[in-house]
Parts: sequence; structure tokens; C-alpha cells
Amino acid sequence: MKFRLLLITALLRAPAALWGAADLPTLWAERTKSVVAVEYMTETETERRPTISMGTVIDTDGTIIIPSGAIDPRAAMWQLKDFRVYLPGDAVSTPAEYLGQDAFTGWHFVRAAVKTRAQLTPVTVFATTGAPAVPALAEFVWGIGLRNKDEDFAPYIMQSHVALIQSLPQRTAIAQHEVAGPGLPVFNRDGALIGIAATSFGQSYLQFSRRSRGEPMLLINVEESSAFMLAEEILPNLGRIPKHISGRPLAWLGAYGLEPMDRDVAKFLKLEAQSGAVVSEVLDGSPAEKAGLKDRDIILALDGKPLPPLKPERVVVTWLEREIDRRAPGDTFALTVLRGGARVELKAVLGEEPKLLREADRKYYDRLGFTAREFVYGDAIERRVKAAEPSGVVAHFVKPSSPAAIAGLRQEDWIKEIDGAEAKSFALVTAKLAEIETDQARAEFVLLVSRGGETAVLRIKLK
Amino acid sequence: MKRGFNQLLESVVKIDVREVAFEAGTKRFAGGIGSGVILSDDGLVLTNAHVASPRAVEINVTLANLERVSAKLVGWDHWTDLALLRLDLAEVKRRGLKFSHADLGESGKLYPGQEVFAVGTPHGLTRTVTRGIISNNNRYFEDTRGVNGYETGTFNTWLQTDAAINPGNSGGPLVTNDGKVIGISSRTYLGANNLGFAIPSSTAQRVVAGLLREGGGITRSYIGIVPKELQDLENFYSLALNTGMLINSVEPGSPAAKAGLRSGDILLTLNGAKIDGRFPEQLPPIQNLIANQPVGASLQLTVKRGTETRDYVVVTEKLESRVGEEWALEKWGLSVRKVSRAYARENQLDDASGVVVIGVHPGFPAAAAGVSRGDIITKINDQLVLSLDVIRAAHADYDAKPAPTLVEVQRNRRVSLYLLKP
Repeated sequence: MKFRLLLITALLRAPAALWGAADLPTLWAERTKSVVAVEYMTETETERRPTISMGTVIDTDGTIIIPSGAIDPRAAMWQLKDFRVYLPGDAVSTPAEYLGQDAFTGWHFVRAAVKTRAQLTPVTVFATTGAPAVPALAEFVWGIGLRNKDEDFAPYIMQSHVALIQSLPQRTAIAQHEVAGPGLPVFNRDGALIGIAATSFGQSYLQFSRRSRGEPMLLINVEESSAFMLAEEILPNLGRIPKHISGRPLAWLGAYGLEPMDRDVAKFLKLEAQSGAVVSEVLDGSPAEKAGLKDRDIILALDGKPLPPLKPERVVVTWLEREIDRRAPGDTFALTVLRGGARVELKAVLGEEPKLLREADRKYYDRLGFTAREFVYGDAIERRVKAAEPSGVVAHFVKPSSPAAIAGLRQEDWIKEIDGAEAKSFALVTAKLAEIETDQARAEFVLLVSRGGETAVLRIKLK
Repeated sequence: MKRGFNQLLESVVKIDVREVAFEAGTKRFAGGIGSGVILSDDGLVLTNAHVASPRAVEINVTLANLERVSAKLVGWDHWTDLALLRLDLAEVKRRGLKFSHADLGESGKLYPGQEVFAVGTPHGLTRTVTRGIISNNNRYFEDTRGVNGYETGTFNTWLQTDAAINPGNSGGPLVTNDGKVIGISSRTYLGANNLGFAIPSSTAQRVVAGLLREGGGITRSYIGIVPKELQDLENFYSLALNTGMLINSVEPGSPAAKAGLRSGDILLTLNGAKIDGRFPEQLPPIQNLIANQPVGASLQLTVKRGTETRDYVVVTEKLESRVGEEWALEKWGLSVRKVSRAYARENQLDDASGVVVIGVHPGFPAAAAGVSRGDIITKINDQLVLSLDVIRAAHADYDAKPAPTLVEVQRNRRVSLYLLKP
């Protein structure tokens, strides 16, 4: 009974999609209830920075997805504060909760407050029943854009025609003109959901001015996009709401620097039209290492199926990375690789991704003028050291003109010693720095830092 | 003006150099102009390393009497930015040419404010004399890419003068009013007002002797420490003033690293001699002291670490430039430079194998395949590129019988495969 009731509501709420021929303004007005603007603050050591992005409502719980680029991956999760949701054309905002990022789709999930939910319509209501609608080439499509905050995020309509459909590796339609704000839905003539706009592509222009005579430049429209991911990439993944704000569990293979194999090389290696990816480096202690993957192996197949022939060739790397992200720690990942002319079968068991930058502990010392950040796995990779023997902390932020900055400390410097004592762990370092920070009698202290493989002794004067 | 000054004017020359350049994926020739000074009756000419280098294929010297005569490179030393040429004496004799020579003076006796003259060929204007004073007689100035990409200034300090030094003055003498050469004009801050720098004659004397003795270049020793002045850190390290030098960095894999030296150590003595590196100007002489030790010698270093002081024995290696040998593989449109140990250390590479791509020729196989500047070619047709000869041989094979050639390339830490196609 309950099922039937739900169905009826759905029918009532999406009449235009089913009876067709409704005029575009009516369709548009109904569908603007599926879009919102999301604003949040990034609280850093010395400032609060607002960011605004556009989002689409995906369910009756007020869940909203915003594009992956909307949040800086370097920011710690607890630095992201005060999420708020604005309805289109409304100056009033209501608080929202940040739920985390899904690694596979890249979406960040946000949930609107209970009282706001009644004013939202999930975009799924406008999806066709059964298989997701796929637009035809040259088909008329339209979508929603939102003006800026000073115009109360007023919604407006954009329309275009489908110019091309590509696998990048997600099925992506490229329209002739901008068709929606990034993160906002795109519909067909009948008002059925056919996709969600992705970040726009860069477009090449020649710039003429008094000084330059036609210099090439790249322009990216950050407010409107002509590319959108098809509904078939969206609808099956709406359930991937993170269970934890960290987005964990996160699957990890540990094959670093995958590089596409080009067609000429494939032919030379007698692989004909086969797609492949070269493994630059197998990381220490990773599932890939345990499975016996070696540096410079060429991955040819996953679970017995050849890698898809995608264009541009670079896309095959994204495809492979998504195949890892789609899975969970503990899942098997069976690879066929080419090593020294022979095919080798490997079975990796994916592990849990080591602590990420955004999860790293950090502590800011205002008097000293810098933030100490825990040294994580990614830092070891970047600095080309064995991940098993990390010590020290990273200067995550250096306040301009502070004692640390004057002494020459720079962001991303790796602090290895404090006052001649080895910086063994984050806990030891923070204890030591807190002691220095509070000791008003202290005139100076000395850091040994490493930068690009070279070290330097820095004397930080406090008086 | 004294008589000596006129004799000096007769010994200053203009130098035209045609040299080979590999950067564009092909072998090209480039021309340059500099100055020089004749030092002896047998035709030795002193100039800058950035004027005449082993890349020179043709060197022409214009004497003070405007006669031109060809010359050959005797040797060069980019570390001190000096090069030594010899005039073609057979040609001089055959044509009955006359020239004079200048004498080196004592740069150690110069004082700030002393009047000096720069003589040379700024912008090709021969026999230009400019006047100024010694602005500073002990200037510290080190540049890891100062001489056409080669290191310079590690082992010497400089004379600073406000005598106008312009491009083309390079290699010309800086002299006192009696015509004695007390420096070799070398560099200037373009856009600044008369901030010129010259290599002191004391350094030149040493280098000339070394180049004559060894021919080609000067062998120096290397132990792999990067020094820093101790200024203001004496308290922290509990040192008496004017004692010791800070070891700011120890290069991984270097003799110093192997001996157990660490960054933050204080070097107190070297083979028993007290070290004082309190100010930056004091560092080049200390570096020079190390460089002058024989290659393979065991040095005894007394080092203070924390409260403990102990001796370390460091066995020196031969000093190498970060710039390796270069070559153009013209059929591929590819210019390469051997990865040196110093380059490998600087870029945190696992070892010094491979060649760095320094240029590609658009439209040629390397560029078409996707190879770009800065890439490191580590393998060619499954063979490790351990030397320049490996890739030269592969190129010769390709030249004889063009066939698709597979190269493995590292870019940052990423490995890609490319196919060079005929």
C-alpha cells in the first residue's frame, strides 16, 4: 500500500514530465525547487573565507550534492564550518550539515535543515522511470543557473543542443553552449532529468590588446557549464552518501603515477589496439606491493577484462582510479600486467587508504607564527622517503612577517629537529612547541628543516 | 697616468667566439663577444669562462692594434669564471704581429675607495676604459647557475667596483692606475647603477697556474657539505666567537654523509687547522681549503654535535658540476645532457643514470612522440641509459636504419613510454 502511495505522490509531483507539452517556464519553475546554493566557511589560522557553490537536491531527507571542486582537498575537515543552504531567489539561509565526500563520484554531500526540506523537491522526481533518459545528438536540452549572492541566487534558464557525447570515463554530454551552473541539473524538452552539469571545459581564445597581438589564452567559465554527466552516471550513485565525514572506508591499491600507454607504444609491444597504464612506482607496504606488482609494470586488464579503449588516452588512468574508488577495502582487484614482454596475473586485496592530508592533525602557534602538521603518508611520497620511517612535522602554514617567516621558514618545510632534539612524533613536537610558545622568557629557538632534499638551520627570534 | 697603463692598454683584446649550442634539439652555432688580457709573451690570454668554454669551435682575438688572430682554449674553470686561451703563435710569427702583455697585481692589498679602471669591449666597443673605485674588496656571491648554467662563486669572493662594466666587458681586466691587473671584470647587475664584480687577481693567479698545470680544467675535491655562517647562532651552539662553521646541509650519498656528518653539526677544525665561518665572506676560503685537498685524501674533521665533540674521517671525491655532457641526437630532434651526480642529488633521483632532455625540435620524432624538455630518458630499447654513449649508439643505429625506437621517460616521478617513429 505504502509503495503505491509513494508512486502516486511521485506522479502528482511530476505531472509535466508525464503529460508532456507543458511550457518551458512551467517546467523550469517546478525544477528550480531541486537546486540550491550552498555556502560554507573555511576557517584558517588567520582568516575566515566564504565559499559558495551550487548543489542539487537528491532525496526527501534534504540531501544535496555539490561538485568535488567545491571544497579544497588541503583543508582539514574541521576547518569547514557553517554550512548554509540558500533557496533560489531567497535572501534567507538555513543551516546545513556537511556529510563528507564520496571518493568514487567526487561529490560532497550536504544535508539541509528539517524545516527547509519541505521546500525542496528531489531531482529524482524528474527522472524517467526505468532506464535513465539519454539525450540524442542535437537534441534540445535546458538547465538552471543561479545568479550571485547579491542577487539572492535568482534562478535563470539556459538552453542549448547536445553537440557530442563522450566517455571521460563517465558518460558526458557536451552541449553547444552553457546549459547549467556546475552541479545543477539538465533536462530534456519534456522536463525529464538527463544529467548534472560538470565543471566547464577550458576554451581557447586569442587575446588582442595594445601589448599582445593575439596571444592564446584559456578561459574557464566557473558559473556556467556546457558539459554535463548523463543521468546514467548520476542516478545509480545517489546512494553513496558517506557514512563518516572523512569519506571512509577508502579503498587503496598503492600503484603510484599511473601513466597511459599510447597507441604507438601498444603496437610496438604487439598489443595492437589494447589500452594500458604504466605503473611508475609501487608504494612501500601497499596492497600493490603485497600482490607482487612491480615498478614499470603495464596494467592491461582488470578482473580479466581488457582496459577500455578510451580517448584521450589519459582517461584510462581516471577509469582505473575510479575502479579502485568504486570498491571497498578488502575487495580483490585482479590485474593482468605486462612485465618484460610476458603477461603476469596478480590478485591484489585492496587496503584502507593511509591517513590523508585533510585528516592530518595540526596545531597553530600564533606567537611563533606557524602551524605544525602531522607528517602523513602523502608527505613521505612527496618527499621521496620511505613511508615506514617518517618523523618530524610539516610547516603547514607560515604567517607572513611572523618570527617563523622572518627566520625563513616556508610553507611545506619539513621540520626535523627542534632545538637540536629530533622531532620524533607529532605529540612530542606539539608539546615542545607549546612549551616554547608559552615561555615568555624565551628569546629564540632553532629549527632544522628539510626542503627539496636540502636542510637548513633556522634561528627563530622571539624577542 | 703611468707608463704601465699604456702597456696595459696594448695588451687588452677583444674576443669573438663561435660556439656550439645543443638546446634546440639540434646542433646550432651561436656567437659571442667578450674581452681578455694578454698575460705573457707566449700569447696566454685570460678571460671569463662565460666568454670562452669548451663549447667554443672558433675563437678570434682582436689585438690592440686591431689585427685579428685565432686562438685556442687552454682550459676553463666555471667555478671561478675564468678561462685561459693561447694565441696561434705560428700565425703571429708568420704575419709578424706585435702585442704587449700585462702583469697581475696584488688584489689582497686593495682597499675600498681605491681608484681602479675597467678596460674592455663593452657591446663590442673596443678599447673602452671606464673609471671607478673599489666599492668592496671582499664580496660574497655564489650562483649555482651563474656561468651559462654552471656553478660559480663557491670558492672565491669578488671585487666590487663602480667602474662601468657592461656586457662585453666580461673577461677584460680591472686595473690600478699603474696598469697592474688586480681583477677580471665578470658580472654586473643589469639595471642597477654601476654594481660591477670582478674576480680578484689572487684567485686568477691560482687558477692560471692550475690550468697550465692540468690543462682543460682544475681538479677539486668534494665532500658534500653545504656551509652556512654561524653569525648569531654561537649562543645556541655554546661556542666562543669566531669558532667553527655551521654545516647547514649534508648531501645524501656524499662522502660527508657516508662519514656520518649531519646537518646542524659544527665544523671546528679541518686537518688540525681552526675553522672560522662566522660571516658569509669567510665561507669561500673554507670551501677552497677543502677543494684544494687531493682527490681521495682522508680529511680529519673535528665536529661538535650538541655537547659532544669528536673527529670524523671523510674521504674526498672529485668535484663535479651539476651540468653533464651535452649532445644533440639530430634525427630525433632531441638534445640531451647526461645526468650528473650533483643533478641527481638536487632532483632526488635514485642514481645518476639517464639523460635529461634539454630541448626538442618541433615536428621531429621526439617531439611528435610527446617527449618534452626536462624529461629524463632512462631506457632506450630496453637498455638502461647509463652513459651518453648508450643513447648515441641507439641514435647511430636509427640513423643507419630508421626503425621505431622505444624510450622510457621519467617526468617528476612518473614513468611513460614513448615511441620514436621514422
